[in-house]
Amino acid sequence: MKFIQSMGITAIVLASLSLFASPLQAEAAPYEGYNYSYWGAAVNVPNAYVPAGIVDGSMLAIGKFKDPTDMYVAADGLLYVLDAGNRRIVVFDEQWEVVREIRGFVRDGKQEQFTSPQGLFVTKNNHIYVADTENRRVVELTGEGAFVREIGAPRSEVIGPNFQYYPLKVAVDNAGRIFVIGRGVFDGIIEMDADGSFTGFMGTNRVKFNAWDYFWKRLSTKEQRSKLAQFIPLEFNNLDMDSEGFIYSTTAELTSKDPIKRLNPSGEDVMRRKGYFNPMGDIYSGAASQSSLLIDVKVGENGVYSALDSRKGRIFTYDQDGNLMYIFGRMGEQEGTFRTPVAVERRGDQFLVLDRDMDQITRFKPTRYGTLVNEANDLLVSGKYDEAEGLWRELLRLDANNEIAYAGIGKGLLRQGEYKQALEYLKFGYDREYYSKAFGKYRKEFVRENFGLGMTTVIVFGVGLWSFKILRRRTRGKVKSNVT
Amino acid sequence: MLREMTKTPFYVLLHPFQGFWDLKYENKGKLRVALGILLLLTIATILLRQYAGFVVNFNYPYDLNSIYELQVIVLPFFLWCVANWSLTTLMDGEGKFREIVMTTGYALLPLVLMRFGNILISNVITLRESAFYYMIDSLSVLWFVWLLFIGTMTVHQYTVLKTLVTMLLTLFVMGIIIFLVLLFFSLLQQMIGFVLSIYTEISFRT
Repeated sequence: MKFIQSMGITAIVLASLSLFASPLQAEAAPYEGYNYSYWGAAVNVPNAYVPAGIVDGSMLAIGKFKDPTDMYVAADGLLYVLDAGNRRIVVFDEQWEVVREIRGFVRDGKQEQFTSPQGLFVTKNNHIYVADTENRRVVELTGEGAFVREIGAPRSEVIGPNFQYYPLKVAVDNAGRIFVIGRGVFDGIIEMDADGSFTGFMGTNRVKFNAWDYFWKRLSTKEQRSKLAQFIPLEFNNLDMDSEGFIYSTTAELTSKDPIKRLNPSGEDVMRRKGYFNPMGDIYSGAASQSSLLIDVKVGENGVYSALDSRKGRIFTYDQDGNLMYIFGRMGEQEGTFRTPVAVERRGDQFLVLDRDMDQITRFKPTRYGTLVNEANDLLVSGKYDEAEGLWRELLRLDANNEIAYAGIGKGLLRQGEYKQALEYLKFGYDREYYSKAFGKYRKEFVRENFGLGMTTVIVFGVGLWSFKILRRRTRGKVKSNVT
Repeated sequence: MLREMTKTPFYVLLHPFQGFWDLKYENKGKLRVALGILLLLTIATILLRQYAGFVVNFNYPYDLNSIYELQVIVLPFFLWCVANWSLTTLMDGEGKFREIVMTTGYALLPLVLMRFGNILISNVITLRESAFYYMIDSLSVLWFVWLLFIGTMTVHQYTVLKTLVTMLLTLFVMGIIIFLVLLFFSLLQQMIGFVLSIYTEISFRT
């Protein structure tokens, strides 16, 4: 008995000790931060973002959310939540006070409501566009919720008679052009002009098939062919508009190398993919089950954008060049984890993630690490390399393996003319482009400094060799002449 | 002696027709030299993997393995020689096995030289000039194939067409040899496994 007692006490003491001995985390999160190294290995890094609270409407007078499907942060900082199950739009200000609640709208004296709306967009002058999916229309409202107009199904000769129009997501550019993603529409994003008349499809995803499938299809009969899977391109599933009027779109395609696209006004993909890997969520090797399924994208300031992975519940944030900045979030039941994440938004330096099953918004705030990454990148984009360098160095103190930080410092040193040091840092950062630039400068400098010495050596050596040859020939000649 | 040994490979490099002729009929070739070149090539490749300049070096340092380099250089070398010999004895080739090894070895010299050169060059070039690096690399391979072609032609006293056919067939035979070896090993494995299982069964019964 005594033995058991003493064992118990020891256990308790050990447990309490290990509590103190465990690595202290400044801020707790239900997930572990990681990022991908240049070689594609997932390496642990400090968490960039940690959960900072949950908003589900129940604490407020408006009642709990029910199956919310989308949300949008307007230019003035107001957050619009499309609470589809309750057929309403809830508008929050930055203190999370409810500004207003829009429950349908009055049209021609009649009250109308949304039927399972899936998408929401708010323009710069605070007009709300709602993709009212089951009513097969896009509705434009003023910021106060007054009806402006209804945009129905697109009409054109290029659209077949059995075209089913179910708008899922909507975005509007500065010129008033409307972009709609429809359910099952694989021709691309439906583009309409400011009046709401159809102008065309843009940014069609390409059909992908391999030679083997094609071979079989050629061999099979017509009947067999109709039973084979068709080669059709995948449809877009979400979009966002950046400040320059470029569309960021996501495609729910496993094993895709470019699920995130940045489409210019003529529909070409102009995404910069200069990072170690293409922006595609998790880097997987082989198995499709490891790849991410991206369902939402949000463009922040300075071309930084984030994508939401619905399979693992992770948010991937990339900088304007396509470098992976940080990853956070996971699936689960705790605060900071999701069951069915559907939308990601960014307000200031905070992230908001909407969960449809848990009917709540999770707020995420940056840690010191996350703040440093954000600030350093902002400075880098605005060309303040020297100031950014200081932040990168601080970042390295938190995460000595951060390759992007090394590359950042290298770029700063290159600007200051410290070529030799820059080379070292750029090598750590695996930035071959800038390494090469720095190396060219360093080589030039090296040659200029050592030209005199080098040239002298060459001349002295050349003359020496020449005279040695002459001397040898003469001595040999003498030997020969002696013999004969 | 040493002078002769180093001079011949370079002579073959630049005058392949005369050079390989001398190798075969004037006894200028040395098996030692051929194997030495093979060794040098392995060393050059290992060094290139490790020490090529950063702008052209995409190797993951932890993946570098010198044994693996032996596998992809020395093994194919002898496989080629064996396959070529077995084929040409049936196709009225005049070359002996020794001569085939010698020819193939001497033909590897451009690869050795250019890989060593590339190690130096790659460390002083920028990304824009890296085209030179890749050019030298492919040039060395072309030169090697050219030498191998002339060598095979001279050693076996073949016509151009017959040489080409033989070389392609040699590649095919290499595949067959690999297949047979794998088959042999897997059969051997099964036989050993069979004997072992009988042994364990008997030992448990008693």
